[in-house]
Amino acid sequence: MKEINDLILPEEVLYADDHEWARMEDGIVTIGVSDYAQDQLGDIVYVELPDIDDVYEKGEEFGSIESVKAVSEMYMPVGGKVVEINSDLENSPELINQSPYDDGWIIKVLPDDENELDDLLEKDAYIAMLKGSE
Amino acid sequence: MSKKTLLNSWHRSEGANMAAFGGYDMPLWYPSGAKQEHLSVINNAGIFDTSHMALLTVKGAHSRDLLQFCFTKDLDHCIGKKKTPLVEGRCAYGAFLNEKGEVLDDAIVYFIENETYALVVNANMGSIISAHLKRCSKSYPEVDIQDLTDKIGKIDVQGPNAALFLAPHLSDPESIFTHMPYFSFKGTFDSNSHRTGEVRFRDNTPILVSRTGYTGEFGFELFMDSDHLIHVWHTLVNEGRKKGLLCCGLAARDSLRTGAVLPLSHQDIGPWPFINHPWHHALPFDESQTGFTKSFMGDEALQQSRNSVYVYAFVGFDLRKISSDRSSHVFDSAGNDIGTVSTCVTDMAIDRHEEKIYSIASPDKPEGFRAKGLSCGFVRLTKPQEYGTILELKDGKRSIKVMITEDVRPYRTARKSVKEMLTL
Repeated sequence: MKEINDLILPEEVLYADDHEWARMEDGIVTIGVSDYAQDQLGDIVYVELPDIDDVYEKGEEFGSIESVKAVSEMYMPVGGKVVEINSDLENSPELINQSPYDDGWIIKVLPDDENELDDLLEKDAYIAMLKGSE
Repeated sequence: MSKKTLLNSWHRSEGANMAAFGGYDMPLWYPSGAKQEHLSVINNAGIFDTSHMALLTVKGAHSRDLLQFCFTKDLDHCIGKKKTPLVEGRCAYGAFLNEKGEVLDDAIVYFIENETYALVVNANMGSIISAHLKRCSKSYPEVDIQDLTDKIGKIDVQGPNAALFLAPHLSDPESIFTHMPYFSFKGTFDSNSHRTGEVRFRDNTPILVSRTGYTGEFGFELFMDSDHLIHVWHTLVNEGRKKGLLCCGLAARDSLRTGAVLPLSHQDIGPWPFINHPWHHALPFDESQTGFTKSFMGDEALQQSRNSVYVYAFVGFDLRKISSDRSSHVFDSAGNDIGTVSTCVTDMAIDRHEEKIYSIASPDKPEGFRAKGLSCGFVRLTKPQEYGTILELKDGKRSIKVMITEDVRPYRTARKSVKEMLTL
């Protein structure tokens, strides 16, 4: 288990309370799960992805990731329409363990309301939350 | 506050993901991950700290009589196809039941030497089983029961190359590994026994080496005085790592044992009659498979509760699993709720190919075979089922189809001879 200080937590993404991350680029939000989440879950063996064009509200469940330990739901950090899914995860779900912020991204979303990103946590606030839940 | 094995700080310093199990703070997996750990035990070998398990000794003129009354296996009819008596150097798997035929715990009984037996029971069960035996021993005078859990360390080395990893560290591996069938052992952890000289670690530490384990694969369980545990662990791990020996946590142990159709006590066996389940070898059935060859605590209750609870192994059609808590239920093809799920894990070394299940170790696996894994586990049902029956398992979120089965992971190596495994 990684110590909090050993977690990879990039500055340029925002974090949700339930450990998804979101990165805004050119009007599209890329979503994944944090290094903390993948470390806690252990080996990811299966990812249930939504379909392209599915629309979800902020906080709604959009898929699940299955690790050796359990099946965990993923929730939308922002509401919007799914415009791309990471289909590499179908055959290589371990990309989430190996590269949670790059090759292991999960979906890309056209957000309904960019202001919803404001509710997410920056790195320091996320670390503080992790420390509080220890 | 969880108890710790002597290797706890080592596990933490290695970055293991820790969790409470059986009252102990134990590694679930190391940074290599549970999947690699599981596969390593199928392909090569893995090493497990199993010092959380409890060890009792039962000594005295009536020790065997006490065990014959309390333990489900008939110690006078249990070895091999001919069911010969348990002799020194052999061990047997069974369970301790209460008067209602319900499982208190499962155990392996080792016949150490004249009037001396050792019992390995589950974590935190030492005091409970020891108290149970003491209560029963009133009819069997002069039996001495000791709980040595905190004095004895235990390490499991499991996998096809287990003997290769162990051999360089034993004083005389050739003689130790000669005539060492499944469920036999040599040596002892007790320095005051006539067995003491049989097996020594290279540094002279007396150890008990047993051809057992709980993974379904070839391998050994090592018992030693806890003073020697850390040293023996370091030696085996540091040398073994050079050839790919992987430290394994409880997650891999759980998925390996489930694929091998071995129960987890207090989960797949527990406070219900121990009668309709895949582990009939743990009961003293006579040739008719209806009566018992001995009388023992709980036997009458078992005969009277033949229509109660039915435990079966199942295997799924892909790797997806459901949670195995109380929210999970089992449904038959007519949609009737017929029971609950006690274990549901993924055996990552197996997969289906044209209806048949292969392991990555199967010699007859199809060309290019790649195992993604299959869900497997145990269900506790209110009705008997035929093997091959398809049932649906549902938790609050997901449903999966599974098949009732007699066996799960093919081509397991647990029963192979040491000679065969050393010449691979």
